[in-house]
Amino acid sequence: MTSSKKSIKPARYGMTIDLDRCNGCGACMVACAVENNIPPVPPQGGDRKGLTWIRVYKVDNGVEGAGRRSAFVPVLCQQCGEEPPCAHVCPQQAVEVDPATGIVGQMPERCLGCRYCMAACPYHARYYNWWDPAWPAGMEKTLNPDVAPRMRGVVEKCNFCHARWHAAREQAAADGKPDTEPVSYVPACAEACPARAITFVDLNQTPPPATGFRLLEKLDTQPKIYYTSKREWVRKIADAPHPGKEPSRG
Amino acid sequence: MTTTRRNLFKLAGGAAAGTILTPVPWRLITDTALLSENWPGVPQPKRGEPSVRFGNCSLCAAGCAVRARCIGGQPVSLAGVVEHPLSRGALQSALRNMRSGERCAVLDLRPGRTASWTYRRAMASIPNGTYLSASQPAAVDLAAVKTILSLGVPVLDGWGTPGNVLAARSRFRLIQAEASESRTAIMADEWLPIRPGSEAALLAGVTGGSIAEAAAQTGLTEQQIVSLERELRENGPSLVLGPNGEVSGDVLVQRREAPVPDEWKKAVPVSELDSMADGSIRVLLIDESAPGDYLPWPAIRGKLAPESVVVSFAWSKEGYGRQANFTLPTAVYPEAVDDIPPAIDCPVATFRLAAAWVAPPDGVVNPVEFIAGLAGLDAKNALQERASAIQKSGRGTIFDPAGAGKPADLWKALQNGATWIDDGEAKARAKTADDKKRSSALLEAKTADDKKRSSAPLPLAIAMAEPHTPALVSPLCSKVTYESNLRLGTHGAALHPSDAQGAGLTTGSRARLETAAGSVTVDVTVDDAVPPGVIQVGGGPDLQNVCGAALRARVVRS
Repeated sequence: MTSSKKSIKPARYGMTIDLDRCNGCGACMVACAVENNIPPVPPQGGDRKGLTWIRVYKVDNGVEGAGRRSAFVPVLCQQCGEEPPCAHVCPQQAVEVDPATGIVGQMPERCLGCRYCMAACPYHARYYNWWDPAWPAGMEKTLNPDVAPRMRGVVEKCNFCHARWHAAREQAAADGKPDTEPVSYVPACAEACPARAITFVDLNQTPPPATGFRLLEKLDTQPKIYYTSKREWVRKIADAPHPGKEPSRG
Repeated sequence: MTTTRRNLFKLAGGAAAGTILTPVPWRLITDTALLSENWPGVPQPKRGEPSVRFGNCSLCAAGCAVRARCIGGQPVSLAGVVEHPLSRGALQSALRNMRSGERCAVLDLRPGRTASWTYRRAMASIPNGTYLSASQPAAVDLAAVKTILSLGVPVLDGWGTPGNVLAARSRFRLIQAEASESRTAIMADEWLPIRPGSEAALLAGVTGGSIAEAAAQTGLTEQQIVSLERELRENGPSLVLGPNGEVSGDVLVQRREAPVPDEWKKAVPVSELDSMADGSIRVLLIDESAPGDYLPWPAIRGKLAPESVVVSFAWSKEGYGRQANFTLPTAVYPEAVDDIPPAIDCPVATFRLAAAWVAPPDGVVNPVEFIAGLAGLDAKNALQERASAIQKSGRGTIFDPAGAGKPADLWKALQNGATWIDDGEAKARAKTADDKKRSSALLEAKTADDKKRSSAPLPLAIAMAEPHTPALVSPLCSKVTYESNLRLGTHGAALHPSDAQGAGLTTGSRARLETAAGSVTVDVTVDDAVPPGVIQVGGGPDLQNVCGAALRARVVRS
């Protein structure tokens, strides 16, 4: 990006996720991995050491038998407000909120791998890179050149496909548009969702839905990911210690 | 001040301690981090001129339109084409030694392609040649349907063209009858939990069979089945999707095929595997290069003659390759050119290509040219010949994702992602008396078969939790399997905690799953969403072979 940040009209990017439309297909998870050069981890990694910047959890109403009802909740970095818990605890200042976009950025070059941020994140949305990134033979050719693969020993997380934001701004500049004009970009997960459950918006331009709720609002982290559902029991899971039951699926 | 050894040590210690307070160590850490980011162990993405190409994916039967972002000509990411009218942006020879009465057959797992026509033409030139398809292509007009009864079919999880189904979702009421709460059951308007293996009985109950029998087998009340039958009748047009590909209802349409050159019409008819006599196939050529429906191996094995020869054309050795005498490697999308037949939810004929964007590795075989060569046919330009026949017919319209308008050269446009769509309204398919007779006979046989198989003395009923998954799909699918447990992997099985405890299993255990058709090693997940007495299994070929032909199983810790 060549223009100075001061001249960019600040945006506040966020998402609205309609949980009544999500069918748990996992297309968002795969699209995210492709876009951001997230490698497959070795099978021994399992679901505790997997790298899933966006992860779809399966939750249920707790009823056994025929009365059981389930839903899927995609959880990614919630892009907390001005003071994310992860930024506070980072000794390396590897976490920063971009004032131009509101995106909480993670800089692997600064990261020491202490994982304080993982402990601080109430959404379990940060992942530690246990292995050097490696793809099966031939797949390196398909890596996205806009995103650098991260080395072993650092923490990584969703950054709303920040490379796409840069690409959109460069395209706008190439098209001769002033840098005060909002750029149109959409993260890979929202683009890939076949059910159109994920909508990516600039919250300054499109206010969140009135019925939208956020995960763990009581913590006052001011996330920019809003969820909607017509089902009462689904809305209640937002107050749980963490969405989904970890020993279960998802 | 005298220089003593003590003072020297003090100076060195102080300097070392003081260095910590300077930027030096932090700079070292940063530089090490930067170095480690670029060390040879971390792959570096290739640089090059960015470009965009349009095409169609042939990895599954849905054939979604795709927009590829290429760097230096190499595709690095695929996205859906939102404007596409079909996919809507969503992203799923030993011939001379045959004895009299024995047959040479081609088994096509994705019928309806131009390759399928080539196989039929080739088999017409070979004595006793037969063309077998995994299923008869059906077509439904999803825009007209108001009620769908799905008997375990993953309607919202990969059936048809996902983008089209989800776009039509608000217009139909979906009733899902299934033992466990699958993805489709979660999103359905109504989920009817039935006993595993009783789908055929319920299908018979709502299509004029015995309601009492259906109630006894499914665990539903007779009143529920009567209401279901009434709803299908009164809130029509309705569609009933059976567990073995049966499709019935008022929205079945007669879909014309895309035109073919006249000389191609001297081809053998399409046969189904079930119609073949046991032990009658001497040479079987299986085209697995275009994944589609998977037939469990035991169903195929029974049709083979003694000393038969089975050749599999596949891009993975994990499918039929383990049973075949020979496996010939083929290219895979996007290394090979192929056309994509319309999916079940497409009421009109279409013609589009999955283009070859990447050079295939050395040594791969083109199954179409190979089989055509056995019969002395030249099929190198079959796709182009068909495109010419389509253009000559003057039928249909062309959708071009690049927005180039009506192309003068259809073949060239098809290679750039265009889709030919036949014109004309979908015509309802009239059901003949023969159809009805055949359908009820099949249903009776299936119900009796299910009853027999479900009576096997094994404790767990099998529920297929995932659609058939070709082995060795993208390594990044690990994100939705073992990295998150969102889906069962190709060797995954899920059990209720009570059943797992009885077998001494926990999440992550490895166990042996045994059925009447054989046994396979599975990775166990304990999940209280699975009903007691049921084992959910993933969609890999091993599990399909062992579980697809059986209804009951047991697991033993290995």
